[in-house]
Amino acid sequence: MLAAFLRRLLAVAPILALVSLLLFGALRLLPIDPAAMSMPPTATKVEIEAARQAMGLDRPVTVQYAIWLGQTLRGDFGNSIHMRRPVAGLLAETLPATIELSLAAMVIAGLLGLGGGLGMFALRDRRGEAVAETVTTLMMSLPEFLWALLLIFVFGVLLSALPFTGRLDPGMTRPVVTQFLLLDTLLVGRVDVFFSAVRHMILPAFALGVAFAPPIMRVLRASLIDTYQEDYIRQARLRGVGETRILLGHALQNAILPTLTLMGVQFGFLFGGSLLVEVIYSYPGMGNLMVDAVRNADLPIIQAVGLTYCVVVLAITAGVDGLVMLLNPRLRGT
Amino acid sequence: MSVLRAENLCVTARIDGVDVAALDGLSLTLAPGKVLGLVGESGAGKSMLGRAIAQLLPPGFAVTAGMLEFAGRDLVAMAPDQRQNLLGRQIGFIPQEPLSALNPVRSIGSQFAEHLRRLGIADWRSAAIAALESVQLPDLLDRFPHQLSGGMCQRVLIAMAFASKPALVVADEPTTALDVTIQARIVALMRDLQVAQNTAVLFITHDLRLAAQVCDEIAVLYAGRVVEHGPADVVLAQPLHPYTKCLLLAAPAISGPRTALYALPDQMPGLRALAEMSGCRFAPRCPLARDACRESVPALAGDTHKIACPHIAEIDTITVPALAPAMVAATGETLVSVAGLGKVFRGRFGRKPTIAVRDVSFSIAAGEFVGVVGESGSGKSTLARLLMGLEQKTSGEIRLAGQDVGGWGAAARRLRLRTAQMVFQDPQSALNPRRRVGAIVTQALEAAGVGLAERRARAAEILADLGMPLELADRAPSQLSGGQRQRVNIGRALCLVPKLLVADEIVSGLDVSVQAQLLALLARLRAEHGFALLLISHDLAVVRYLCERVMVMRNGEVVEAGRTDEVFANPQHDYTRELLASVPGAA
Repeated sequence: MLAAFLRRLLAVAPILALVSLLLFGALRLLPIDPAAMSMPPTATKVEIEAARQAMGLDRPVTVQYAIWLGQTLRGDFGNSIHMRRPVAGLLAETLPATIELSLAAMVIAGLLGLGGGLGMFALRDRRGEAVAETVTTLMMSLPEFLWALLLIFVFGVLLSALPFTGRLDPGMTRPVVTQFLLLDTLLVGRVDVFFSAVRHMILPAFALGVAFAPPIMRVLRASLIDTYQEDYIRQARLRGVGETRILLGHALQNAILPTLTLMGVQFGFLFGGSLLVEVIYSYPGMGNLMVDAVRNADLPIIQAVGLTYCVVVLAITAGVDGLVMLLNPRLRGT
Repeated sequence: MSVLRAENLCVTARIDGVDVAALDGLSLTLAPGKVLGLVGESGAGKSMLGRAIAQLLPPGFAVTAGMLEFAGRDLVAMAPDQRQNLLGRQIGFIPQEPLSALNPVRSIGSQFAEHLRRLGIADWRSAAIAALESVQLPDLLDRFPHQLSGGMCQRVLIAMAFASKPALVVADEPTTALDVTIQARIVALMRDLQVAQNTAVLFITHDLRLAAQVCDEIAVLYAGRVVEHGPADVVLAQPLHPYTKCLLLAAPAISGPRTALYALPDQMPGLRALAEMSGCRFAPRCPLARDACRESVPALAGDTHKIACPHIAEIDTITVPALAPAMVAATGETLVSVAGLGKVFRGRFGRKPTIAVRDVSFSIAAGEFVGVVGESGSGKSTLARLLMGLEQKTSGEIRLAGQDVGGWGAAARRLRLRTAQMVFQDPQSALNPRRRVGAIVTQALEAAGVGLAERRARAAEILADLGMPLELADRAPSQLSGGQRQRVNIGRALCLVPKLLVADEIVSGLDVSVQAQLLALLARLRAEHGFALLLISHDLAVVRYLCERVMVMRNGEVVEAGRTDEVFANPQHDYTRELLASVPGAA
């Protein structure tokens, strides 16, 4: 079991190497001169050439890649050209915020999706099914930025029920222990700050997650219907097992497996989709960092964020695969 | 008091607005400790009784008349929670497909725990181990279903069914999915538990000989009606209803004189056809039928041996001619020669390699029929696939008509396809559902670039060969019956008139009367075209009927080979003897 999971992790290494190569190569194709960008507009050609040599940009691309890869592996992502700070530090501040937002969105998508899937399964072949279909189709067809704007309009402006910018109420200071805001506020015992942070996350997390719920509902409903055709469900009924136990103890355990795999794939999309939502809600995460970096052609940040995105998605996929292996004895390779 | 009593029970399906009885006026009683066999081909309605007992009928089906009692309590009118209370406690069920009847993601122990806790057994673990012991299984509570064989899964399910000491166990084709030696063991185990606990068993099966071996009484069902009901040995030895008699004569025997198979025309009418039928439902196929049979429904009459037919005096006119033992065709010319053939499947992900076939040598003469028997996993299907080039051999030599065809090369492939064709087991998945029958049977010509007119002409010839009307050429496989589909499957292989047919379990899963039709077809086609046949089968009786020579395979090796009549009459290897002794009805 563990060996199988480790083998699964090992398969990630070549993918990462390939992505780093593509990332580096693609950014080198852009007509951008990082040396010129890093100097004040008044700098002379000689000064820029000196900077280029100092940055190693005059050396062959393969050597540049090797240097970059070596530094990256050591955790040194270089300095931001625009903000003149180490990229590693910027990532350490913004990545936890994005992870918190994505996780919250995934929890919302998961709760809505699994609950809705069970509900739709209960409604199968009844009149309510068409209504549920329409609602979920509508949920799916709105893009996340439209959801974001709609939620701001309804809950932020019309009802003034929830905040929609930043992460905390004005005047609150954020405690820093692990950089994960929700965790830190609890660690230092500031429940009021924790709740403020939660209130600030509801709208962006909902906007990000809601469109991912309907596919979960549909897959869960479909695989529950398939599972109910299986012999072991009938055999359990013939043993006198009650319908509730059949659903929770037999059918769901099997039907959840394809649903989990789907959620793993979705989380990757969701993590990438956080960019727009972060911008709309002025949420200080990796998305905003990325948008600024692209605007300023800040190559070290773009490279580092791109690579981080890839690592997170691969980690999630591997994690979900591990979870599915844990839940499905047939995959445990015995 | 009887454990189970059905009185004029009718289960009705609504089809296109018309009510059709899938079970029509079933009456029977089952006393404590007795085993009643419910025998019939597919579509006879034999599973309906088990489903009616649990009230888990298919959608659209309902009990519309009569009554069904368990220990004096009305099962149909009973509240659902009361019935659920009986299930698993006083009524146990043993399923047809053991491998899929256990939840794949839960361990055997957790499924036992759920069942035994419901029965109110606190120390479920020791009770479960005792139950497993009663079916001669070790403690495998921590294992998962996929780690067990089909026979082990079925023993687990039997242990669960008998764990509550039920008054009634319903076993629906419990051994159909299992090998014949496993079947013998499972049946013996069920019989032991049933005797020890004085359980009444409703044993549902398509196999009349197996039922006769297991049951005290047998009821033969045809199209939803009991046509014959009596003591098991009497029904087997002296069947009095024409259907029972034809069914027995249609199944090849494993011992005794070799006879032709009785060829019942057509097949059992489906529910749709039943809606337009009156009188005796067997009349359209019955050799004794007369006009009166189609007008009134014959009543089930008699004391201990009841028969629903007024013409039992003529039952002895239904006979089949005796056949000489199958003889080796005397052409002598060698068509297939295989020497030292071996196949090893590499182990994936660090698993051990599997030796599927090891050091197999044999030859087949032109026009000769050779059978390969053995249980699942014996390597017989791999052997067929190696011969056809669907798998690449690991070692050894394969020669067709004197030429080496073991390789991947284009020349070897062409020669192989010209000489040998394969018929696959399951026509349902072997026939492309999007193509018409005419196109399917001439696929080989299409691949060779032959024009449409010529292909249509050949399709007509093939359909005539198969005994199928020409208008079926424009049908899709889904519009055919199971027997017709298997005919098309055979017809496709015959398109280029091969010298060798390789047939993998082509009659398993078919009803006995349909199987007899197909075996007769093969025998006739052989007389007309003179091809040789390598028949892979788990059914020894079919091989005995059809083949001159037989090879017995076990664990990838041929353990015994020889003339069929000699091997079956005087088996030399222990395994062959065990295999022959396991067949129901073996003398």
